[in-house]
Amino acid sequence: MPGLLRRSGSFAAEADEPPVRGAVVADALRPVPEFCDVIDAHINDVIEQTGEAAEAIVRKMLTIDSMAEVMSGDVSQLAGTLGHVETELTRVAGANDQLVDRLVRYFMYRDEQIHRLVDEMRGLKQHVKEIEEVSRATNILALNAMIEAVRAGDKGEGFAVVADEVRKLADRSRQAANGIGSSIADLTSRLDHVLSDDSDFDRDNAVAETAADTAMTRRLAAIAGAQREMSEMVSTILHNALQAASQVEASSSALTSETTGAVGHVQFQDISRQMLEHVLAALADVRRQSDDLVAYSEGALPAEILRERMIQVDELRARHVMGRQRSTHAASTGEQADSDSAPMIELF
Amino acid sequence: MTTVMLVDDSATMLMSLKSILTKAGYSVETAEHGKEALDKLGKGVKPNLIISDVNMPQMDGITFVREARKAPGMRFTPMLMLTTESEQTKRTEAKTAGATGWLVKPVAPDQLLGVIKQVLPGA
Repeated sequence: MPGLLRRSGSFAAEADEPPVRGAVVADALRPVPEFCDVIDAHINDVIEQTGEAAEAIVRKMLTIDSMAEVMSGDVSQLAGTLGHVETELTRVAGANDQLVDRLVRYFMYRDEQIHRLVDEMRGLKQHVKEIEEVSRATNILALNAMIEAVRAGDKGEGFAVVADEVRKLADRSRQAANGIGSSIADLTSRLDHVLSDDSDFDRDNAVAETAADTAMTRRLAAIAGAQREMSEMVSTILHNALQAASQVEASSSALTSETTGAVGHVQFQDISRQMLEHVLAALADVRRQSDDLVAYSEGALPAEILRERMIQVDELRARHVMGRQRSTHAASTGEQADSDSAPMIELF
Repeated sequence: MTTVMLVDDSATMLMSLKSILTKAGYSVETAEHGKEALDKLGKGVKPNLIISDVNMPQMDGITFVREARKAPGMRFTPMLMLTTESEQTKRTEAKTAGATGWLVKPVAPDQLLGVIKQVLPGA
């Protein structure tokens, strides 16, 4: 190996075994650049992979975000619909209550009217009783008339009196008949009126207020109660559904906010990339110095150039751009870290 | 719609910031370095705000801001530097070049939006 011999010769005066030491140092340094290249490739690989991963995370976050927004929109729409249904249900339930209440009061009113008519029809018995009395009296008179007629013979005065009484009874009988007839006509008309026209009910609600319960009104009240109970149940379900929709909406909103925050945290990749790029730059310095040493050991680089280009830890510190890099550097070298008092956000 | 121009050589930064700003209702233009951003301004893109990184290939952020100030209609446009750089000398350099503010990465989305509201009160 002529090169090795030449190199050995150049150090012969400086060490006990200079040819061997110089050659060994050069041999040891020779693979360093390639070694650095491999490390360089690995670090670049890490930068590339974290970059791809960060982009994938952002895309996924955006997908989640858009899904959350869609969900929030859907739930908002559902909440709107439920709210509308709840309002409508309340309105319809109120209308139903009023309708049933009106029906109940109407039936109470009509029942009372019919009761009055029934009472009045009972009054017809008086007329019937009177006719019966008239009938009995007529019979007696008729009997007397027969007796008087027999006795009278030619004398008809008594008979005339009887005849007059009979006439009066007939008159009373006619009046009673008229009374019954007119009462029946009146009652029939009013009954028709009660059954066909409820305009009096609208004018006379106070009567209905005081009217007594009947089987019909009790049934109607029971229906109204069941209907009210059902409305309240549906209303409770709607209210709970609305609350659930509201909670989902709030959760979606929080999720959207969290995904935005997570997307913001992906800046770590850019920061890590820059930190790794600084490591790469430092590694390049090590590689260069290794090349220089090999060149020096081979006599291809003067000592002053080697010293001039020698890596310096202070230079490395000067290249740091982040406060964290400076802190790490100080912690590693045992120096006092410079306080980074500049604000993170500053408007000029 | 208010347009924000993002200038950063990191695809991840562009993607994440764009999503945050788009969601907040801003229209977003992107460029990967100062030169591309300057070309866009030359082609008539008129952002209401520019957010630029500092350390970028081809043209760094401070040079870009200095040049962008010369572009028509850009004299009073807010220009924020968003960077990992925390050196005071660089801040001073950026301020002299015409930057409106300095934000150190990472910046939380709500903080970024708050700063935008400060520099674009009408938006």
